Amino acid sequence: MSEPVLEIPEGWEERAVDGWEWATLWEAVEEGDHGYSHERVQEAIDAGIDPRVILDDGLFPGFNLQGDRFSEQIIFIPEMLITARAMKAGLALIRPLLAANDEKPLGTFVMGTVLGDMHDIGQSIVTIMLENAGFNVINLGTDVHPDKFIETAAEEKADMIGFSALLSTTVYYQKVTIDEFEKAGHRDKVHILIGGAPTTQEWADECGADGWGRDAMEAVKLARRLITEQRGAWA
Amino acid sequence: MKELSPRERFTRAIRREPVDRVPVMYRMKAEAKAKLARIYGIDDAGTGRKHNPELELRLGNDAIIYQIGINADFSHRHIEIGETWHNHFGVGYGKSGLEGRTAEEEVAFAKTQEFWGPAKIVPENFPNFHPIKSEEDLANYTWPDPADPVMLAPIKELCDKFQDDYFIIVDLSSTLIEAAYAHIVGTQNFFLMTFDKPDLINKVLDGLIEYYTELGKNVIAMGVDMIRVGDDVGAQQGMMISPDQWRELAKPRFDYMFKEFRKANSDLYIKLHSCGDYSPIIPDMVELGVDLSGLMQPVGGNKDQVGIKRKYGNDLALIGGFDVQNLLPRGQVEAVRNGVLETMKNLATGGGYIFSPSHYILADVPIQNIYTLIEAQREFGTYGKYPLN
Repeated sequence: MSEPVLEIPEGWEERAVDGWEWATLWEAVEEGDHGYSHERVQEAIDAGIDPRVILDDGLFPGFNLQGDRFSEQIIFIPEMLITARAMKAGLALIRPLLAANDEKPLGTFVMGTVLGDMHDIGQSIVTIMLENAGFNVINLGTDVHPDKFIETAAEEKADMIGFSALLSTTVYYQKVTIDEFEKAGHRDKVHILIGGAPTTQEWADECGADGWGRDAMEAVKLARRLITEQRGAWA
Repeated sequence: MKELSPRERFTRAIRREPVDRVPVMYRMKAEAKAKLARIYGIDDAGTGRKHNPELELRLGNDAIIYQIGINADFSHRHIEIGETWHNHFGVGYGKSGLEGRTAEEEVAFAKTQEFWGPAKIVPENFPNFHPIKSEEDLANYTWPDPADPVMLAPIKELCDKFQDDYFIIVDLSSTLIEAAYAHIVGTQNFFLMTFDKPDLINKVLDGLIEYYTELGKNVIAMGVDMIRVGDDVGAQQGMMISPDQWRELAKPRFDYMFKEFRKANSDLYIKLHSCGDYSPIIPDMVELGVDLSGLMQPVGGNKDQVGIKRKYGNDLALIGGFDVQNLLPRGQVEAVRNGVLETMKNLATGGGYIFSPSHYILADVPIQNIYTLIEAQREFGTYGKYPLN
C-alpha cells in the first residue's frame, strides 16, 4: 500500500492568472472546508480563470487525493463526505459556467437502491463522487421499483444506471431490474453498474451487469471508462 | 471429556477453557424462524422482544439471547406498507415495498433463483424518521426509561426458567455509534455532524451511554450471565469511521459503561459486537476487557481468520465467522458443509470459540442449507474428533 500524494497538475501556472495560487484550495478540499472552497472558487471566477481550469487545477487535486486515501482506508466515510461537500460547494459555482461554455456533463447517470432495500449511505457517496467527477446524476433514492428506473432512464436519456443492494435478500432485484430493461427494449442503450456489500464480480457477470465497483472510487473509475464506450441511442 | 451442560460449555468457551464440543449459537430473523418453526411443529416462533428460545434450543443453542436495545422491536415487528411506526426512542420506521408484487414480477424473481438458490424475499423494516437533528431537538428530547418493567420483566422469567441449564445473554444493541447514526440522528447527518456539530454528537452519545448503562445495570440485577453490546462500525471492506475517531467517540464511553457493569457484577461477561470488518480496533476491545467478540462477514475486508485467532485468541473468545452473505443463502449443500469444516479448523482449534453464522439467518436461506449447517456443526464440532483432534 503506497501512501497517496497530492498530484499537482503540470503547468497550472500558465493556465491561471499572474500571481495566482491553488494550494489553499487544494488543502481546503482535502480538509473539507466548504466555506473556503466556495469563496476561493468565486475569487477564481472573478479573476477570470476559465471554469474548466478551476475544476481541473483547483478542485480535483484535493478531491482525488482524498478519494485515493478513502480507497486505501487511510481516511473513512466522514472525511470523504466533507471533502465531497467542499468540492460540491465549488462545483456549484462552476457548473452553470461550464454549461454556458457548452461543456456537457460526462454523461447522465441514474442511481438508486433496488426495490425492497432502504440502504442509503453507499449509493449517496457514489452519487456525490460521480457528480464531482462530472456526471449528471439523478438519484432516485432507495426502494426503487424497476419501472421507476426504466421510466427515468427513458425521460433523461440516461447513459448509465447504477443499482445498489445491501442485503442478500435484495440483490435479486439487481437482476430483476436488468431483465426489465431487457424486456422494455432499453438494455442496449445503457451501461448498468451494480454494487453493495454482498455483491461480487461473479454476481455482476451472472446478473448481466456491465460492471461492478468494489468501492466508491472504483465505481467512478469504472463509470469514466465505460462512458467512452458507445451504446445504442434513445429515440 | 464428560458431556457438559450447555451453560458450562458456553461459560468455559468464553473463559477459553477446554470443552467437550464447540458451543453453538444460531439467531434468526422472524421469517426464517417461522419457516423452520413450522417444520419443528413449534407454534410460537417469536423473535425480538417476543423471543421464544424453544426452536433455537432444539437446534442446539447453548445460550439464550434476549434483545432489548433500540433494534429489538423494529426489525421484528409487522409494519404495514406506508405506515410509520415509532419506537420508545421516538425513531420512526417504515417498510420497503416488496409486498404486492405482480405475477410478472414473481416470474422475473423466480429466474434469479438459479443463481442464488431457492429463497423467499421479504420486505425489510427501516428507520425513516430520526428525532434529533439539532440542539433544539435534543433540548426537547426525552430519553426512554431504563427501568421500564416492560423491558425487564421477561428477562427475569427467562433467568428463572432456563438459567440452571443455559447461559443467559441480554443484547443491548444497537448501543452507541450505530444507535446514533442509524436511528437517532440519521447516517449522513451523523457523519457530517461529527465535524460540524461535535458538541451535539457528544451529547447524543452521552445520552445513549447513560441510558444503556442504567438499563444494563438493571438487567445485571436480574442475574444474567452476559451483556452483549452491539455497535456496527465496520463496513464490508473496512471500518466506516477511522479507528482514531472510534477511540475518541466510543472507546472512553464503553470504558465507563463496562466499569459500571463490572461494579454491579464483577463476574459479568461482556460481548462487544460490530458487523463488518472492525479488525483495527480488536486490540482496543482487549484493552476494554471484552470477553467475547464476533468475527463477522468472512468474505470482505480482513478475511484472515487464522491470523486473527492467532493474534487475539489468547486475549478474548471469538464467535461467528461462517459466511451468511453468499455461502449460507446460495451455496450448494456440499459447499456449506465444507464451509463449516473450514470455520471449525480456522477458529475452533485450541478452544475459545463459539460456532455461529456471522449474522442472523435471513429468509433467503434454504432449509436444506440450515440442516446441513447444523449437521456439519455436530460432525466437525467435537473436540478429540476430526478436525479438532
